[in-house]
Amino acid sequence: MAQNTITNEEKKKAAAEAADAKQEKKEKASSEEIEKLKKESEEAKKALDEVGQSPDEIEAMFNKRESVDLTPANCRFYRSEGGLISMELTLPEKEVEQFERIVVLRSFPISNPDEYISIREPSTRRRGNGAEIGLIRNMHDFDEATVKLLNEELDRRYFTPELLKIYSLKEKFGYLYCEAETSAGRITFVLNNPYSNFRTLEDRRVLISDIDGNAFMIKDPENFDKASLKKIEIYL
Amino acid sequence: MKLMFDLPEAEEKLFLAAADPSEKRMYCLPFNIEGKQFVNDGYMVFTDQFIYKILHQEIVAKYDLANMKDFSTEIHYGSCGFYAKVDGDTTLLCRFVTGRHMPRYTAMIKACELLAERASKEPITNNEPERFCSKCGRPFIANTHYCPFCQDKKEVYRKLWAMTRGMRLMMCFPLFAAIISMVIRFVLPAVQKNAINNFITNPSVDIHDNKTLIHFIVIIAAIVMLDIVHRAVNVIQSRISAVSGNKFTQMLRALLFEKIQTLSMSSIQKKSTGDLMGRINNDVSVVQNFMTGLLPTYFSQLFSFVLALTLLIWLDPAMCLYVFIPLPVAVAAIIGFRKIMNRRNVRAWVLGQRTNHKLQDQLNGVRVIKAYGREDLAVEEFENCTERQAKQDRSNAKLFDTFFPFVGFAVRFGSYLITLFGNLALFGGTMSVGDLNQFTSYSNIIYEPLMQITAIPRNISNFTTSLSKIFEILEEEPEVADIGLPLDIRIEGDVSIRNVTFGYDSYNPVLEGINIEIKQGEMVGVVGHSGCGKTTLINLIMRLYDVTEGEILIDDVNIKDISQNALRSQMGVVLQETHLFSGSIRDNIKYAAPHATNDEVVAAAKLANAHDFILNLPEGYNTMVGEKGFSLSGGERQRIAIARALIHDPRIMILDEATAALDTETEKLIQDAINKVVKNRTTFVIAHRLSTLRNANKLIVLDHGHLAEFGTHKELLDKKGIYYHLVMAQRKAALEKQ
Repeated sequence: MAQNTITNEEKKKAAAEAADAKQEKKEKASSEEIEKLKKESEEAKKALDEVGQSPDEIEAMFNKRESVDLTPANCRFYRSEGGLISMELTLPEKEVEQFERIVVLRSFPISNPDEYISIREPSTRRRGNGAEIGLIRNMHDFDEATVKLLNEELDRRYFTPELLKIYSLKEKFGYLYCEAETSAGRITFVLNNPYSNFRTLEDRRVLISDIDGNAFMIKDPENFDKASLKKIEIYL
Repeated sequence: MKLMFDLPEAEEKLFLAAADPSEKRMYCLPFNIEGKQFVNDGYMVFTDQFIYKILHQEIVAKYDLANMKDFSTEIHYGSCGFYAKVDGDTTLLCRFVTGRHMPRYTAMIKACELLAERASKEPITNNEPERFCSKCGRPFIANTHYCPFCQDKKEVYRKLWAMTRGMRLMMCFPLFAAIISMVIRFVLPAVQKNAINNFITNPSVDIHDNKTLIHFIVIIAAIVMLDIVHRAVNVIQSRISAVSGNKFTQMLRALLFEKIQTLSMSSIQKKSTGDLMGRINNDVSVVQNFMTGLLPTYFSQLFSFVLALTLLIWLDPAMCLYVFIPLPVAVAAIIGFRKIMNRRNVRAWVLGQRTNHKLQDQLNGVRVIKAYGREDLAVEEFENCTERQAKQDRSNAKLFDTFFPFVGFAVRFGSYLITLFGNLALFGGTMSVGDLNQFTSYSNIIYEPLMQITAIPRNISNFTTSLSKIFEILEEEPEVADIGLPLDIRIEGDVSIRNVTFGYDSYNPVLEGINIEIKQGEMVGVVGHSGCGKTTLINLIMRLYDVTEGEILIDDVNIKDISQNALRSQMGVVLQETHLFSGSIRDNIKYAAPHATNDEVVAAAKLANAHDFILNLPEGYNTMVGEKGFSLSGGERQRIAIARALIHDPRIMILDEATAALDTETEKLIQDAINKVVKNRTTFVIAHRLSTLRNANKLIVLDHGHLAEFGTHKELLDKKGIYYHLVMAQRKAALEKQ
């Protein structure tokens, strides 16, 4: 027993010593590394200066633009020649920027459609997702014409027809085939997973997403006619 | 995918009137959304000079391709848009439903670019599979080309029939057995009738008469014998159908698995592991269950129904009426009750699923719950779920227990009528007790199948769907296939990639126009942002996919001409996520070369810096790893994977992010191993940490699918491009860390 303890202690001691040695070695190694890195980065800086590229330009290559708060004071929206939205951005101490086309996105498309509207550069295939130019806290800070313009684009982008009446609803082969009247006309659509494609929100609205990527909305199922409600009830 | 839709007659006329005869029609696609409405008569017609937009039988816009550029598609919420710059202004050309047309319009981007440059004489094609039935427009069953509405069912059954060759006799036996047992069921009441009429209700019977006694004993013996035969047939039938069902299932599963193994990576990647497992397990079970369980049952029920009906009519047509008068009510009651119960059961099932899901969610996140002190919220949410489920279950049980007896009553109502009128006839003397007994027995047989009748269509459609899903895999052609006489060459290791373009979806190239020449024995680093096509490039070199355009040559031989077996057996691969199979470490290292000796195993392990840690494991090279085995650290697994790749001395070695998830010290060990490995081998190394690539002879820098830079470390640093910046950024980060 006693011997055991001793050996254990010895072991511990040995281990501690080994760890210390390791640590020292590591520190030494890492300090060497730092020196090396520093040297290299200085060389790089020198090289950079020779080429004459400004650090800003290089930053711009790797960092996307910084998003700003958009207010009626610093930006103006107008219809573009192509029927979409153009924007003029005036930031203090910077040149006025013109955007031929901007993309408008909602941060909370379902719960707060009018707030936190993100204004972005369009995505391109080469550069990937477009950067955010700025964020509008509340769309209604802007004048009516602008709100109308933005809403027109948003309605297009968040195309969510309202379901008005359900003509038929059949579950077959694991799919749900539905024929319905919507605010955008009569349509047939298919759900691949009926029980998770219906999403009931807190304010009783129901969002439906179909296999094609369409989105539909029921404002309040209680207001449906009886026949339609009966068909759809079990999925809610 | 179809890029040339037919215009309806009116639109066709309109278009022909508007377009110049010299224009060549290249593509024609429908679009479905305009303003706030769905439309079903919108078409975009692409000629070699113009784009015509036709809506409501009018040409609403005509765009000159010569003035257009920057074509793009954007996915919106609930729809998509096709955009282009017309005279320098971005314009929304049309909107369409995502799932149906997004791939088509994305293919149009490339097509329109070519048209705008006047560079294409022939339309481009798109090999993407259609996801929608061309006949009825409904979507195919997930991951298949099977439209349950339009598929010729006979075709499927014919294939199944062809497949049962060699087992038919065995599989038909349950049907014969069912008929035999049915016949016995019908004979039994007739014999019983004889017994009742001749002995039980016959007052003049003289039991002391030997002849009568023998007659009586024979009848009783016949009843017993019939029962014994009946049971014996049932026993034999169950045994045989168990065996034949078993054999059939085994055969189908083996066929499926074999086929999946021969399929190329691209077709496997399109299906999820879950989907494939589902087909091997569930769909095969559904098919087997139907063929050996449900089918004989339905068959015998149909048989007995028809037989019982004939017999009843033959026995007493008038009494038959009483059987059938309550039938409509009974069927209606069953269907109605089933419908209601089904809805409620589904509801209960959904609530049960939700409870399960919540439970899993909350238990998995228990650390987070505790860390944020939200235990009450978790309890409350869970209680809500269970309460709703319990409520639904309770109400279902109440309804079922209350109304099921009534349904039973409705179904049995006919037999009450028969009892009533039968007895009246009995008292009137127009019917004997034996006749009545026989009649009642047959009418019971008629009612039996009724309870199941509602489930038949659903079972048949499930069966057909499962069967089609199985056949789809069995009939799929592997996309990457060997040519007729593939070469078995000994690879030296020169790799040249010429003009290679590739996309997992043909319209969306991941790599474009890549040109690289690599000499034998070079170590090549592949660098770039995530998603820039590094792994794809490696997949192409391994020929897990075939290039869309261009060619890849190894030792000046196109890899399409080399047999896949020869190619892969001379390549070694280490991936970031190392999969070790269940088994010992030795088995895993020997995986690529089953006949390797222990010498070779140890040599490979030493080369991979794995030998030392393996010996520190309790069972050395015999230690079990994999799912149920000894759990190794990421670095250890990685080194075993390197040893596995080294065992057959590959000419080309591929390390895909092999060091990404490791700490610095382990990385150093692996780095060491890599340095040993690369000697005399062409090696491709994908790495995030550029320090791993310090010794690389050449570096490939990819940027969004294009070859941005190619050269040695020094050349690229001098160039001050992307690589230079990546190096600087990492150094900066390293400095800050220190």
